[in-house]
Amino acid sequence: CSRIHNRPTISPTLVLVNMYQRPDMITPGVDAQGQPIDPRKMQEHFEDFYEDIFEELSKFGEIENLNVCDNLADHMIGNVYVQFREEDQAAAAHTALQGRFYSGRPIVVDFSPVTDFREATCR
Amino acid sequence: RSRSKSKRVSGFDQGPLQQTMPIVTAGAVPGQLPVVTPI
Repeated sequence: CSRIHNRPTISPTLVLVNMYQRPDMITPGVDAQGQPIDPRKMQEHFEDFYEDIFEELSKFGEIENLNVCDNLADHMIGNVYVQFREEDQAAAAHTALQGRFYSGRPIVVDFSPVTDFREATCR
Repeated sequence: RSRSKSKRVSGFDQGPLQQTMPIVTAGAVPGQLPVVTPI
């Protein structure tokens, strides 16, 4: 894709850019100290992250969809897509997340045009 | 997955680990130059 992504001014869906960081992001299957990571630990790490996001974002409204990219390729890496039932819930979350941190890194939040994840592809 | 384990601390609002405040020498007043005796 061209990577010139459409950024709507309002949408029920938010994208939290590069928020999920895999424990083996430097070398696949290996942690930052060079030790192999148990796949169950990887899954647990992902689920803990998912739970954190779900709990925090549920404060702003009913979540219809929550997708976390755990890919290692640079495109969309670590992006979190959260679709609320209503646009105003997404707007409230958008405002509230600005300037906050997650695990020592600033949260980068934007509206996303995606409203149907089955059809979500770059065009 | 077992939910019996105690709740982890959420990663939300965990700020950066590095020192965010500038290190100021004890006794120094920010914005004020130390008095230097003229030679």
